Amino acid sequence: MSKVIKLNVIERPKSDYTGGASSLCPGCGHDQISGVIIQACWENGIEPSKIAKMSGIGCSSKTPAYFLGQSHGFNTVHGRMPSVTTGANMVNKDLVYLGVSGDGDSASIGIGQFIHAIRRNLNMVYIIENNGVYGLTKGQYSATVEKGSKKRKGSPNEQPPIDMCKLAINLGCGFVARSFSGAKKQLTALMKAALSHNGMAVIDVISPCVTFANNDESYKSYGYVKDQTEELHGVDYIHHFQPLNEVDIPEGSFEDVELFDGSVLRLETLSSEYDHNDPTAAIVALHRAEMDKKHITGLLHHNTDMPTADEDQGLVDTPLCDLSEDMLRPSRAKHEELMARFRA
Amino acid sequence: MDVSINDFVINVATANGTGSQSSNLILLNALFEMGVPVSGKNLFPSNISGLPTWFIIRASDRGYQAPGDKTDIQVLMNPDTWYKDIEKVESGSIIIFNENVKLPVDRDDCLVFGLPMTKLARSISPKMAKMIANMYYVGVIQHLVGIDQSALETAVNRQFKGKASAVEVNLRAIDEGRKIAQEGIEWQCPHAVEGREKEEGTFLIEGNEATALGSIYGGINMLSWYPITPSSSLAEGIIHWLPELRGTEDGKSTCAVVQAEDELAAAGMVVGAGWAGGRGMTCTSGPGISLMSEFIGLAYFAEVPGVIWDVNRVGPSTGLPTRTQQGDLNLLREASHGDTEHIVLIPGTVEECFEFGWRAFDYAERFQTLVFGFSDLDLGMNNWVCRGFDYPDEQIDRGKVVRSAEQMAAIENYGRYRDIDGDGIPYRTLPGSGLDPILYRGTGHDEDGIYSEDPEVYRKLMMRLKTKLFNARKVLPAPVIREEPEEDVGIIYMGSMENTIQEIDDMIEETGLKVSQCRVRALPLHPDVEKFIDSHNKVVVLEINRDGQLYGVLRKELPINLVPKITSVAFSDGMPPRARIYSDLILDALVEVES
Repeated sequence: MSKVIKLNVIERPKSDYTGGASSLCPGCGHDQISGVIIQACWENGIEPSKIAKMSGIGCSSKTPAYFLGQSHGFNTVHGRMPSVTTGANMVNKDLVYLGVSGDGDSASIGIGQFIHAIRRNLNMVYIIENNGVYGLTKGQYSATVEKGSKKRKGSPNEQPPIDMCKLAINLGCGFVARSFSGAKKQLTALMKAALSHNGMAVIDVISPCVTFANNDESYKSYGYVKDQTEELHGVDYIHHFQPLNEVDIPEGSFEDVELFDGSVLRLETLSSEYDHNDPTAAIVALHRAEMDKKHITGLLHHNTDMPTADEDQGLVDTPLCDLSEDMLRPSRAKHEELMARFRA
Repeated sequence: MDVSINDFVINVATANGTGSQSSNLILLNALFEMGVPVSGKNLFPSNISGLPTWFIIRASDRGYQAPGDKTDIQVLMNPDTWYKDIEKVESGSIIIFNENVKLPVDRDDCLVFGLPMTKLARSISPKMAKMIANMYYVGVIQHLVGIDQSALETAVNRQFKGKASAVEVNLRAIDEGRKIAQEGIEWQCPHAVEGREKEEGTFLIEGNEATALGSIYGGINMLSWYPITPSSSLAEGIIHWLPELRGTEDGKSTCAVVQAEDELAAAGMVVGAGWAGGRGMTCTSGPGISLMSEFIGLAYFAEVPGVIWDVNRVGPSTGLPTRTQQGDLNLLREASHGDTEHIVLIPGTVEECFEFGWRAFDYAERFQTLVFGFSDLDLGMNNWVCRGFDYPDEQIDRGKVVRSAEQMAAIENYGRYRDIDGDGIPYRTLPGSGLDPILYRGTGHDEDGIYSEDPEVYRKLMMRLKTKLFNARKVLPAPVIREEPEEDVGIIYMGSMENTIQEIDDMIEETGLKVSQCRVRALPLHPDVEKFIDSHNKVVVLEINRDGQLYGVLRKELPINLVPKITSVAFSDGMPPRARIYSDLILDALVEVES
């Protein structure tokens, strides 16, 4: 008897979304995130060929080899994934751009490009796999490590961290979330919501480095994150193609965040004080968490009133990479008219 | 007294930001309208307002376009350079000066005429006096050399785009200046212009605008740029012409424009656009190329098409940002770390700026690599006589892109980096097509695009890349060769030196030597360059830099037996090339070769 293979809404098995075997350290948080990316893309029913997976350089940036084997991808240069994605997005706005970066890649060498991609509202999902260290060069601190946090070897870090979520919110990013690689349910819901967002969606995922910073004194270790994390709300993602009667209604209070493609992110409110529409509330909450040496996770901020980078350009409907020759070169008649004008 | 016809140099010394660009372009255009072969050079400072600026206009029946050896008519407007400007004027020359500067002109050996330009201008418009003052020297020069009133009026109309009030005010000032000169000047001017039959269909245009138009005809899909002199006007030219030449009827665009946060990002966007199947381009100058170098290596190694224009200014470092040089050739040829080499297109005329503008995209997609356009400030930012642009005589070449499953099925053993046809150029598929996707990478990869550190795989890949670009030699623009039957002395040169070479050649031939010319128009070197060297007794490699960079490329790439035949003549001081300096250096070098 043959096994029944589960198919998604476009009738594809999950195996159409997997990639090669990971060469990261066993237990690495990044591999869990890759699993969530596979799950989210499959469940959202995105055609694999329509996804472009983008990355910079670092442990996290290697992971596009480990998911979505049927999608084109580009493992670019250190810290510069946003600019390559921008160029690609300009000439093919119809692809789903899924960027994977790390804290070294995004918070130091690439912070300028991160900032400007947000400023342009580049239509992409930007995942930061954040472990506070440079894994691929053997464990130096990165710029997101908290003051007082200590990796396995060496002294505690003395400098204040750059909080990528705070930065993104300050810059006006329309979708900012923080999660934990071990929080599969939350991360999957946020990932699916990010894929349903139109514009830049940043998810900062705390993803422990099992080799260099998984000791309890490291604020981004499994042990520390488990003890010191507050979830702002429970999250549930409801697909736009999902019949409403299949959706469980939570018992307590909840709020539905409507997403661009008609899907809904249902926030089951645990903290009545938090308003994800208010960027200042998010900044305050993040600031308090930093003071308390805690992490807060969930959808930190959401707003949808900005045009995306490609919408700003006023481009023709056809992706520019598919234009025919007559759209790429002025006609001979036009040329003659132009030359006559120059000669007049 | 002998009056020389159509053979003089005007030098206007002003301060930046005083509006003299308009008056100088009016003079230039008026002479051009009369059919007088003319060129203009704007020597401007790295400054928006206040620092010294010179504009050199040369009229020459022989078609010489370099600034010339001496100034025949010096206009003095700038107190800051007053004495130095006077000092440089040779005996017998003409000096026209603004009396309101209130500085002396003690040159009894020159033909001197002053008038209170600022005061006169104030009576026309107190607000615009600073700008209008410049029109008075236009009037004086009109009188001195005899510029046709109709040609002048055409030039004024063109300059102010027919805006009636501006045309009227400026023409009034020019008129007044001319009348004052008529009444006040008692000496005879030794220079005059005579109308020539204007070459049918010519117009004046800057190199950067020509490149911009070429890029638009080349199907540019994405322009990313970061402002830098002297390339900004190239980007702004594209932005200006896109709506008319590449917009749709409903006002949509077929080319995205992104002002990047820096040159690194600009290069990244070009790589991204090329990867996704579009035609991406950026333009910059030397400092930008330095910043882009990492991405340039990625594009070379991952075989991603794209176009980068370098409008060369004077380096190293910030250098002289508003002066000209051919100092970036080495940088472009081998930009980035490891073993790299790049295609470099080197236009020498505005017509070629246009042609190489569109061809660059075809070469980039055909060879799946970055292609550089190499221009410079002299060519890019000055006005040149243009005979018109030829409509591209070839269809757009999108290269080896597999776009359908049927096409894919016809290829045996497809791999992104497999040399199926034996020409070093593999096939590629585009994101979104679903056809044989790979993860592009800057790390070692095998013929299927899979990560590999295998020594043989790496070596084979690097040798294929070498073959690919070696094969490009015969496809890229061949050198322009003007050969003398004697095949004695040959000069190899490139780019904007085209505008000075004939004058240099004539100066050398005055000594009895016969000089052939070979203008290199692309790297890697076309085989004809080798033939040219082989057939000449002595070959000078002439260029506008200190170290002889083209000479270095030749030494490296020529067969070893030809290397002793070539001699370097390289000179750069930031100024556009002056023929006398180079001809003297060439003659010296030839003497050295003889001994």
